[in-house]
Amino acid sequence: MTHAPAILRVEDLQAGYEPGAPIVRGVSIEARPGEIVAILGPNGAGKSTLVKAIAGTVPIESGAVTLEGRNLTATAAHRMAEGGLAFVPQTDNVFTTLSITDNLTLAAHGLSAAQRRARLAAIFALFPDLGRQPSLAAGRLSGGQRQMLAVARALIVLPKALLLDEPSAGLSPKVVAELFAKLVEIRDSGVCIVLVEQNVRAALAVADRLYVLVEGRNRLEGSKCDLLGDPEIASLYLGGGRRASVGATP
Amino acid sequence: MSLQFLADGLVAGATIGLGAVGVTLTYSILRFANFAYGEFISWGCYLTLLLAGAIGAWAGASASPLGALSIGPNVLAAGLLGMALTGFLAIGLDALLFRRLRRHFSSITTVIASFGASMALRAALEALFSSRPVYFSQELQIAIRVGPFRITPDQVALLGLAVLLAGALQLLLTRTDAGRSMRAVSENPTLARIVGIDVAGVIRLTWFVGGALACASGVMLGLVVQIRPTMGSELLLPLFAAAILGGIGSVPGALLGGVIVGLAEAATVQLVGAEWRAGVAFVVLIVVLLLRPAGLFGQTA
Repeated sequence: MTHAPAILRVEDLQAGYEPGAPIVRGVSIEARPGEIVAILGPNGAGKSTLVKAIAGTVPIESGAVTLEGRNLTATAAHRMAEGGLAFVPQTDNVFTTLSITDNLTLAAHGLSAAQRRARLAAIFALFPDLGRQPSLAAGRLSGGQRQMLAVARALIVLPKALLLDEPSAGLSPKVVAELFAKLVEIRDSGVCIVLVEQNVRAALAVADRLYVLVEGRNRLEGSKCDLLGDPEIASLYLGGGRRASVGATP
Repeated sequence: MSLQFLADGLVAGATIGLGAVGVTLTYSILRFANFAYGEFISWGCYLTLLLAGAIGAWAGASASPLGALSIGPNVLAAGLLGMALTGFLAIGLDALLFRRLRRHFSSITTVIASFGASMALRAALEALFSSRPVYFSQELQIAIRVGPFRITPDQVALLGLAVLLAGALQLLLTRTDAGRSMRAVSENPTLARIVGIDVAGVIRLTWFVGGALACASGVMLGLVVQIRPTMGSELLLPLFAAAILGGIGSVPGALLGGVIVGLAEAATVQLVGAEWRAGVAFVVLIVVLLLRPAGLFGQTA
């Protein structure tokens, strides 16, 4: 876990799909380079809405989002990637009619041809499965491969912060373990990762710090070690005495 | 039995196919059936006619027929300018009308608005040019014999032009960032925004390309038939039939759909009677919707 200052700061954010009906009600979080921050909470807590609002796809009513001190609050969603913030939605997160390479190069449209080749080579080195059949249509990939492609696409522009909305949804435990191992690799390269998860055990296994949201507000926050000892976390998510097993494997 | 309908149908099909490509692009990316598309065809043709006259008057020799063709270089230059102008006309109509409606209303409202826009654009053409037919050229062309077919040099040139434009569009869609972005927005506009694509810019490009293709289709129609304010709206049903036959969103499908509709119309004229021609597109449309709603190259949801 890193002790560097936070680069992604979300302050007192209020956001929702309809004006005057916020789902996220004054949430504040921060994330440092090289750490995985997990956002947990029951259904309807506003976790997904929070990351979508940070990524610019849900309207923000008040509050601020800054990345490396730059205010991204009013930035259009399509400008976020060049601002250093990449987002992987939960579903429909690849273009199924486009090839793997086209999915990746689409996100790299601001780069020169040489930079693209270099980034594609780096991405295929990190995700060798994708590099084996680059011209395959993304619609023919398995659920796990699609999720890998979505993460790979988010990484192609070397983001400072990576937001993921329930990346484990619908995947087998084995694929989740592979995917989360990749997330750890990405974190170790210095990227800050904000992860919304329903799969609490998988999230706890890789997260450095946690935020728990309830009804659109911050409820708990702290390092994994701090919160694993919290009786509320244990009762909400871990079923009491099973705490000791968390952290071993996703 | 004469096989002449194959040659006639191919030329008509190329005209329909190019227009259908414009329809299929705007339909798949903007997600509404634009019934004003036929007016882009008419406006494109009239704009080209005006420009050809202006260029011909400015550089007299350019109006002389080019080789065996009935038209001069002035029409070719005017066609290129006309394509650009019709593209901007389409962007302008979107900015004025459709963009506002897309933000606040369902697509059916936009479709109905496109009917209104169609009538207004057609009425404006009639007010400006009257409904009397006009022509790019009064030159007579002698058809040449190619095997069992008779075909005019203009028709050969138009077929070549259609293949050239369709090839250029296919390259744009598959080999360029702009084209990949158009395909991405067509599939998932929300994800397109997330990956950094300027969706508003892609929509403008789509209108431009659609308008330019409509103009090309209109000029082709004006060269082989005649130029009238209703020429585009009369072509609308065959265009939609071709786009749906090919599968909405498929460029090769729209072209092939256009050729099939064109051949079916020409065969009907030759084998059944010219009065049945207008009904052929209806029949094709109904048969496709019943048997293969996603079209030849379309993907089911």
